[in-house]
Amino acid sequence: MIEPPHPFSPSRSRWRRQRDRLATGLIALGGIVVVLAVLAIGVFLVVEVLPALLGGQLDTQRVFASLTPMAWGTLKAALWAMLFSVPLALGAAIHSSMFMSQRLRSRMKPTLELMEALPGVVVGFIAGLVMAPWVERHLAGTLTLLLLLPLGVLLAGGVWRRLSPAWRRWFSLSRAGLWLVPWLALLVMAAFALSPWLERLLVDGDLRVWLDREMGIDYASRNAMIVGVAMGFAVIPSIYALAEDALSGVPGGLGEGAHALGATRWQTLWKVVLPAAAPGIFAAVMIGAGRAVGETMIVLMASGNTALMSLSPFEGMRSMAAGIVVELPEAVPGSEAYVMLMLAALLLFLFTFLVNTLAEVVRSRLRRRYRWLGVAP
Amino acid sequence: MSAWSELASQRLPRSEGPWAWLAAGSVALSLLMLGGLLLLIAVRGLGHFWPAGVVQLELEDGRALAGRVVRELPLEQGERERLYYTANRDLDGQVWHWLAVSDIVASERPRDLLVLERRFHGEFIGRLVEVGSVDFPDPTSTATADWNALQASLAELQALRSERDRLRREQLRPLIQQLDADPRDAQARRELAAVNERVRALQHAMQGKVAILESADGRRLVQPLDEILRAWRPNAMTTGEKLTAWARGVWRFLSEGPRDGNTAGGVWPAIFGTVLMVLLMSLLVAPFGVLAAVYLNEVAHQGRLTNLVRISVRNLAGVPSIVYGVFGLGVFVYGVGGSLDEWFFSDELPSPTFGTGGLLWASLTLALLTLPVVIVATEEGLARIPVQQREGALALGATRFETLTRVILPMTVPAMLTGVILAIARAAGEVAPLMLVGVAKLAPQVPVDAEFPFLHLERKFMHLGYHIYDTAFHGNDVQAALPLVYATALLLIGVILVLNLTAIFLRHYFRTRHGYVPRQ
Amino acid sequence: MRSTLPISIPSRFQPAASGSIIDFPAEASCFQVEALSLAYGGKPALQEISLRVPRHRVTAFIGPSGCGKSTLLRALNRLHDLNENVSHEGRILLEGQDIHAPEVAVDELRRRVGMVFQVPNPFPMSIYENVAFGLRLQGGLTRRRMDDIVEWALQAAALWDEVKDRLRASAWSLSGGQQQRLVIARSLAVRPEVLLLDEPASALDPISTLKIEELIRGLKSQLTLILVTHNMQQAARVSDYTAFLQEGELVEYAPTDILFTNPTLRRTENYITGRMA
Repeated sequence: MIEPPHPFSPSRSRWRRQRDRLATGLIALGGIVVVLAVLAIGVFLVVEVLPALLGGQLDTQRVFASLTPMAWGTLKAALWAMLFSVPLALGAAIHSSMFMSQRLRSRMKPTLELMEALPGVVVGFIAGLVMAPWVERHLAGTLTLLLLLPLGVLLAGGVWRRLSPAWRRWFSLSRAGLWLVPWLALLVMAAFALSPWLERLLVDGDLRVWLDREMGIDYASRNAMIVGVAMGFAVIPSIYALAEDALSGVPGGLGEGAHALGATRWQTLWKVVLPAAAPGIFAAVMIGAGRAVGETMIVLMASGNTALMSLSPFEGMRSMAAGIVVELPEAVPGSEAYVMLMLAALLLFLFTFLVNTLAEVVRSRLRRRYRWLGVAP
Repeated sequence: MSAWSELASQRLPRSEGPWAWLAAGSVALSLLMLGGLLLLIAVRGLGHFWPAGVVQLELEDGRALAGRVVRELPLEQGERERLYYTANRDLDGQVWHWLAVSDIVASERPRDLLVLERRFHGEFIGRLVEVGSVDFPDPTSTATADWNALQASLAELQALRSERDRLRREQLRPLIQQLDADPRDAQARRELAAVNERVRALQHAMQGKVAILESADGRRLVQPLDEILRAWRPNAMTTGEKLTAWARGVWRFLSEGPRDGNTAGGVWPAIFGTVLMVLLMSLLVAPFGVLAAVYLNEVAHQGRLTNLVRISVRNLAGVPSIVYGVFGLGVFVYGVGGSLDEWFFSDELPSPTFGTGGLLWASLTLALLTLPVVIVATEEGLARIPVQQREGALALGATRFETLTRVILPMTVPAMLTGVILAIARAAGEVAPLMLVGVAKLAPQVPVDAEFPFLHLERKFMHLGYHIYDTAFHGNDVQAALPLVYATALLLIGVILVLNLTAIFLRHYFRTRHGYVPRQ
Repeated sequence: MRSTLPISIPSRFQPAASGSIIDFPAEASCFQVEALSLAYGGKPALQEISLRVPRHRVTAFIGPSGCGKSTLLRALNRLHDLNENVSHEGRILLEGQDIHAPEVAVDELRRRVGMVFQVPNPFPMSIYENVAFGLRLQGGLTRRRMDDIVEWALQAAALWDEVKDRLRASAWSLSGGQQQRLVIARSLAVRPEVLLLDEPASALDPISTLKIEELIRGLKSQLTLILVTHNMQQAARVSDYTAFLQEGELVEYAPTDILFTNPTLRRTENYITGRMA
C-alpha cells in the first residue's frame, strides 16, 4: 500500500526558490513604484508652486489677491453645505443607530451608499438648471418649507401619542423613517400651496421684490443656498455612514447600563452614547467637510461662478475647485494665473489630506477605546 | 397583564420627546430627496421619447399655432401661462411660445397634424400638403394618400441611402485603397469611375423628391424629402404604436450620434467614450492596485513606515478629484505628453499630439484617482483571509510566492473585483478631472477605427458626464436640450447604480459564503 | 517494547546546558532540539529546551495553555519565520542537520515536516485539488501518477471511502472531522518524514476525534508524529512518549506510561492529576 517516496527534483526546487525571490522582488519594486506614484501628487504640487512663489519673478501679492475670493467662495460653499447636511446626516445616523431595527438598518445603509454614488454632475445639473429657477420662482415656498418640515414632523409625533396602541405599533418610531416620507411629501406640497397666500399676507406680494426693497438683498438665481442644499445632499451619505458606525459601535454595555437606570433611549443617547461617540462624529463631520471643500461640479453648475465675497445665502460665489476647472486649461504654464491655480490645488490637497488624517487618527483612537470599554461579544 | 406592564408600555414611548421625531424626520427627508431626485430624472428622461400629442391653438388675436405643451406656470392675479414647443425654427425663428391661458380661444388635437424630424432646423409641426418631385407637384392627391406617399417615399429613401452606404463601404473604399497602392491601375480606375457614377445616380434619386408642408397658420414650405429623418402623426397614433415609437426613440438615443449642437440625436459616442475610457482605466488600475496592496500587506516589513504609507493611501481617496486632474494636466499632459511630442512627433509641432488632453491621459488620471479604492478593497480582502490558509500552504512546502498565487490571491478575487467595480463606478461619474485632461464637447472621430494602430490613445473623446455639463450649460438652446440632458443623466445614473449594486451584491455574497472571519 | 531507562531531567535546577539531554538510546532520533530558547519581541516563550524526538513514534507535548507547547511545535518546521518579532537561540537538528543552516531551504524543510492545525484549513478548491496541491508545487508528475498518489494519501488518511465518488466537490462541503482528515491526507501526499499535529482534534466531535486518534496510531509505522494536545487522556491514548512543558520550560519527558503513572517530579504529578494552581 505504501508508495515509494516521490523523487522530488532538486533542480525544480532550486528554480522554485529563485522564482520566489525574483517575484517577491518584483512585487516589492512594483508596489513601491505604485505607492510612490500615488504619493507623488503632493510632491508635484509643492514643486510647481514653491519655486514659482519664492523665485521672485511673479508678483506674489497679486497671486494671493486673486486667490482670496476663491478661497472665500470655497469656504462659504462648504459652510452652507455643512449647515444643511450635518443636522440631517447626524439625525439620520442617530435615528438608524438608536431606533431602527437591525433589518431595516441593513437596508438603509446600502440605500444611502447609492446616494453617495450619484455623480456630482447630475446633482449639479438638477441644482443649477431645475432647482435654482424653481426656487427663484417659489422663494417664499422654499423658506416656508424650512419652517413647515420640522413643525410637521413634530406634529406627527404629537398625533402619534394620541393613537391607540395597535396603530402605534404599526406606525412605530423605529419605522418612522419610512412612513414619514409620504407625510413630508404632503408637507412640501402644502408649503408651496400656502406660500402665495403667506407672501400676500406678510410681504405684500413678492418676497424677492420685498427683499430687494426692504432689506437691500440681491437675489441671484444660482446662489449659496442652492449650492448648500445640493452639495449637502451629496455630503450627507459620507457623514451618515461614518457617524452611524461611530454610534452603533458604542459598546452595548454602556447604553444598557443607562437603560437599566430607567433612562429613555433619547436620554441614553444624549448622556451616554453621544459623548462616547463624539470623536467619531467629529471625524465624520471632518470627512464631510473635506468632501464639500473639494466637490467641483456641483459648485461649478449651481453657484453662478461669480467671485463675490459675501456671506449671503442668496448670492453666488466661485470656489477654488471650480476656478481650477474653468481657468487651468487656458492658463499658460508658469504664468501668474497658472501658479495661482496650482496654489489653489495645493491648498485643496493639503486641507483634505490633513482633515482626513485627523479623522483617521481620531477614529482609530476611538476604536481602541471601544475595545477597551467593550463587553466581550 | 398587570397594570404595571401596561403603564410601562404606555410611558416608554411617550417620553422619547421631540428630538427623536426630528431624527426620524431627517431620515425621511433624506429618503424623500433621494427618491424625488431619482423619480424626477427617470420621468423626465424616459418621458422625452414618448411621442406626445400635438395641439392646434387659436388665439384671441386670431393667430393660429400648433405645438406641444411643455409646462404651465402661475402668473400674478391668478392668471396662468403655458409654454408651448412649436418647432418650425426656419419659419418663426424661434421654437418656444409663452402664451397666457386666457388668450387661448380654442384648442384641438387634429389627427392630421404631423411632426417631422429634420436634418436641419430641428422639428417641424404642421400639415402635409403633398409629396411630389421637384418639377411636377401633383395638386390632386388627398391628405391620406399623401401621408401614405410620404411614408413610402421615406422608406424608399432609406433603402437608397443604405444602398449608397453599402456601395461606399464595400466598393468605393477598397478601390481607393487599391489606387493608393498602385496609382497606375487602369482597371481599378475604370471601376472607380463606374461606382462613382452609380453613387451619384443614387444621390440624385434621393434629392429628387420634396414634400410641401403647411404650418398651422397657413404658411407653406417646400421640404426636400432627403432632409427628413422621420415623420409621425402623434394624434393619430394608438398606444401600441406610441410604445413602439418610444422604444425606437430610446434605441436611437443609445445608438446615434448627437446632432444640432448636441440638442438632438443620441449619445452613442459619449457612451462609447465613457466605456472605453473606463475600460482602459480598469486595465491600468486593477493590476497596479492589486500589486500595491499585495506589497503593502504581504511583502513589506509591517512597521511604522508601512502603516504610515497605508494611512496616506487611504487618505488619498478623500483628496478631491480636481486635484488629480491638476496632477494629470501638469505631469501627464504637459510633462510626459510634451516630451513625447518633442521626441516622436516633432514634425507635427506646434500642434500637439500627446501634449494635449487625450484618452490615454484621461484613463491614467482616473486610474490614479481610483487606485486608493482598489488598494483599500484588496488589502481588506487580503487581511480577511484566515492565517490558517497561509500556514496550511506553507506547511506543504509552498514558497511565499506560491502561497500567494495559488491560495491567497484566488481567495481575494472577490475583494479585488469589488474594488475594481467601485473604482469603475467612481470613475464613470467623475467629470471635473476629465475637463482638464482630455474630454471633448464633440469629438469628430471615435478613438477606435480601422486605421492603424486602431486605438488612438491621443485623441479626445466624448463622455456622458461631460455631455450633461456641456449640453446643459453651454448649449445654444438649453430649453430644447433639457430632455436629452435628463435622458443622459438617467443613463449615467443607471450605469453607476448597476455597477454599485453589483459591487454590493458581490461583497455580500462572498462575505456570507466561504464563512470568512470578518475583520474588526 | 518500551525503554525504561533512567531519565535525566532538565529543570530549573538542572539546566540543559550542562549536557543532560534527554535520551532514549533504544530509539533512533528524528528531531534533536538543543538548548532552544525562543522569544516573541523580547518576551521569552521557550527557555533552553533540549529533547530528542524518536523516529517512527508518536510524541506528545502536553502542558497548560501558554506553556509553549505549540510554540515548540511551530519551531520544528520554522513557521516562526513568518513573524519578524521572533528570535531564537540554540539548535534544532532534523536527521542530524541544523534546520536553520543556510543551505537548508525552508520550503523543502516544510515539505519534509508537514503540519496539521487546530482548525481544519482545507483550501477553497475541490477535494482532489487539495490533496494534489503539494504535489503540483513539486511538479513533474503525470496525471496518472498524480491520481494514484491522491488515492493513496486519501486511503492513508482513512477518507477515501467517504469521498471517492465526489473528488471534484468543494473541500468546504465536508464535515469538520472529514476536513481534518483531508488536511492530513494533503500533508501525507508530499511524503513528509515528520507530521506535526497542533491539537488536531480539539475542534471536533468525539467520534471524529476517535477517528483521528486511530489514524495517528496507524500512521506511525510510516512517519514520525508529534502531537500537541491539552487533552491528557488523548496523549495517554495515542502517544509513545510525552513531554510536559510549563512556562516555557521542559519539565519532564518520558515514555508515556511512565509519565502518566509514575511521574518523577511533583510539578508533573500535580498537572496530570489536575491539581494545578
